[in-house]
Amino acid sequence: MPVTRRQFIKRGAGMVTVGMVIPRFWLSEARGEQIDFDPQRKLVVIQLAGGNDGFNTVVPYTDARYYSLRPVLAFRDTELKAKDGTSTIISNEFGLHPAMAEIKQLYDAGRVAVVQGVGYPNPNLSHFLSMDIWHTADIDGLGSRGWLGKYADLALIGQPNLTAASLGSLELPKSLGADRFVVPNIINFSLYNFLADPNYPGDYNNQINTFNFAASRSMPAGGFLGTVNSTAFESVRGAQQVQRSVSGYNSSVLYPPNNPLAAALRMVAQLMTTIPEASLLYVQMGGFDNHSDQIGDRQGDRSNKSIGDHAMLLRWFSEAIKLFHADLTEHGLADQVLMMQWSEFGRRPGENASFGTDHGTAAPVFVMGNPVRGGLYGAHPSLAAADLDPAGNVRFRVDFREVYATILDRWLGADSRAVLGAQYSDVGFLG
Amino acid sequence: MSNITQDEGAHLLRRMGFSGSPAEIDEITALGREGAVDFLINYESIDNRAMEDLLRTSFDFSNPLDFPRFNRGELQRWWFTRMVYTRRPFEEKMTLFWHNHFATSASKTGDLFIYNQNLTLRGYALDRFDNLLLKVAQDPAMLLWLDGVTNVRGRPNENFSRELQELFTMGITDVVTGDPNYTEEDVKEIARAFTGWKFFHNRFDPDPFSYRFIVNESEHDNTIKTVYSGSPWALSGNLGGEDVIVTICARRATARYLVKKLLEFFVYPVDGSAVDKATIEKFADVYVNRNHSIKELVRAIFTSDEFFSERARFALVKSPVEIIVGAIRMLGARYNPGTSAREGASDNTLAAISIFLGQDLFNPPDVSGWKLNLGWINTSTLLNRFTYADLLVVNRARDLNAPGLWLSHEQLRSFAKKNSKKTVKRLLSRLGPLEVDSEMIGALRTYLESDDHGNRVGFTIDDLTLDKKVRGLIHLIMCLSEFQLN
Repeated sequence: MPVTRRQFIKRGAGMVTVGMVIPRFWLSEARGEQIDFDPQRKLVVIQLAGGNDGFNTVVPYTDARYYSLRPVLAFRDTELKAKDGTSTIISNEFGLHPAMAEIKQLYDAGRVAVVQGVGYPNPNLSHFLSMDIWHTADIDGLGSRGWLGKYADLALIGQPNLTAASLGSLELPKSLGADRFVVPNIINFSLYNFLADPNYPGDYNNQINTFNFAASRSMPAGGFLGTVNSTAFESVRGAQQVQRSVSGYNSSVLYPPNNPLAAALRMVAQLMTTIPEASLLYVQMGGFDNHSDQIGDRQGDRSNKSIGDHAMLLRWFSEAIKLFHADLTEHGLADQVLMMQWSEFGRRPGENASFGTDHGTAAPVFVMGNPVRGGLYGAHPSLAAADLDPAGNVRFRVDFREVYATILDRWLGADSRAVLGAQYSDVGFLG
Repeated sequence: MSNITQDEGAHLLRRMGFSGSPAEIDEITALGREGAVDFLINYESIDNRAMEDLLRTSFDFSNPLDFPRFNRGELQRWWFTRMVYTRRPFEEKMTLFWHNHFATSASKTGDLFIYNQNLTLRGYALDRFDNLLLKVAQDPAMLLWLDGVTNVRGRPNENFSRELQELFTMGITDVVTGDPNYTEEDVKEIARAFTGWKFFHNRFDPDPFSYRFIVNESEHDNTIKTVYSGSPWALSGNLGGEDVIVTICARRATARYLVKKLLEFFVYPVDGSAVDKATIEKFADVYVNRNHSIKELVRAIFTSDEFFSERARFALVKSPVEIIVGAIRMLGARYNPGTSAREGASDNTLAAISIFLGQDLFNPPDVSGWKLNLGWINTSTLLNRFTYADLLVVNRARDLNAPGLWLSHEQLRSFAKKNSKKTVKRLLSRLGPLEVDSEMIGALRTYLESDDHGNRVGFTIDDLTLDKKVRGLIHLIMCLSEFQLN
């Protein structure tokens, strides 16, 4: 049963123990919460940073324009085969990159929705600005709060246990930037701890109590002190819980250590399987800015398109999703977890002179997991010369905010208008 | 000469340097506002031989190909050692400012050229802005970092041209008027002006670090370029990079942008208010009237009422470097960098910590530099700040000649006063001075007086209390949110 903030604060009076203090900034916010938080509806957001090449991720293998725009990089239909020879074709028009064998299997099982042509009006080709636009769902790139941060402000304040986190990176992604809620950023679990002098273990409770007193003070408005202090409180509160919990993780799934996304998703599994409220998790993998040498080996041999930088990244992506899904299944959590992948833009349909692709616009978004209704959604953007913009980029078919709205309304039980500021249509990939 | 208080002296040292001991704060305070700023700015006349001697015995940068003695880790250890030991703190702080302004990463340039760039930034830190910018632009590091070396006639590369205007001088729009400062056409034209810029090492030059700048005439585009058409700065002709730099440095937009960056790094975050615009204009006048002298500009900023205002006090978030070096300097903790002369005899703790706090020196996240203030703060980086505090207090002095970082028992003894209240106040003062309310002081006193079962048993200065509670108190104060501010 979800615990509302009011219930928590009422109960809290009797349940404050060592190391557990309710910060005053929560008490002052003790109004009724606006969204009922359901910890059994979990969301994992996977950011592929750098701009993933959509046209070689979901390949339009019957489109003659695809082949004329990409004489070197395009996959022939006969090349849409995984290493074991099985086809990665998903429809009579589209096939997945041959490195995505595992996602193809999940697609066949109805666990993957591929939303094609996702973008936004007046696309920005700067990594930083376009990321900001996706993070904040503000088309002008001027928003300060992230879309998930806004959701967290509405749904997660007052929850006594850890509900949200970004895992595996040094910086907290802007998507999770909130006004009042502090989303933990966990680089790795072993560092995520409040340490005191090991010579005097008996003094540790005194240290924690004094720290918690300091970090639960109300701070004057304005300036940075308030944000620093609420972040300090959340850091130690979360650290204690993480240290108590994650060591209890046990799984037969082996995540390969050289796959950075798998390592981050393993951390997600550690949290989700040991802290039942952990529901809003965020991971990222970079390297998708493939301006050159997108295919081929280090010696410049481009005869095998299924090797190269882009193939390696998609293989990691595909492998990590499969292992994570298997881990969730093993722990009986697979029905509770929705995964959404995004990237700040796709690549230009026309390849460049360096066997790579330059910054583009619309691209597919993958929404995955048992809760989705698998299949193809949206529409593939036209590659016809007349339909490309002056930079040679495609026009978007689905606004990314429609994807967000579908997830907020149909999965998280939120009112997407409160987060996105307007009504967006339902893409249809959820029940 | 206007007098300043101890608190103002500490504020000045936090911003112009990396904080200081009570003796250093006294020394600065006694000089008054203008005297203190002059003293810190005219750093070339401060005797820094003790640091130079230490650097000579700790590092061997004679051969850039000697990887064990010349690598990124060694460069970081070298810079941290400078910041901890220098008697010229403003020299290092200003170098750090320029490292963030002309943010360049060794991941692309390699270690030799990032080191050369650091020497350039330090050497020209307070020169005319035109001179600094030209030197940085002609340095191998920048020519590699923003693809200047591949910017050649017929195949211009816009990378440097764009960032020169967007990040290094004017910004996309004027920070006061909001007007656009340049067009995409200007980016293309200016890229052509910089074609053919190269560097080389003269094979007869015995110094392996010495690289020279050259314009390769065969790669330089000698056709007419036209920039800033229709504006008072319009320029046309067979322009070279130097012509462009002179023109840009003479634009008011550059003065305003540079002032804004200095204010936000050294004074307080500015907004679009009329008051802040007037402040920017006031200092932009100094830049214009004093022949683009960075030294005169920063002198005006640091002696200003804005700098000494209430608004400026603790208005910034300490950067990782300020946390790490500041704590050592305020406490008088000992950092022995060791030496690279023998394997395993050096200590690079400070740089390692700094990475986990979010500031990997010589490797900023991108060309726009580190994100300041709340950009430094998330739950992990804060926990790592607390872990640094823990590391500092739990390391006891061993062999004084051993490399490492520690706080000695004698140091602790000098912090302790006869009762808990005075001890708390003394350390709050030593680590700031930090202003916290009486309730917080009470909680820290309770900590000092409590036994392991949480019973208040009082405070007496004995070796156990010093080693356990006074160390613990320093840790707790360094975990206060007030301590995270600068």
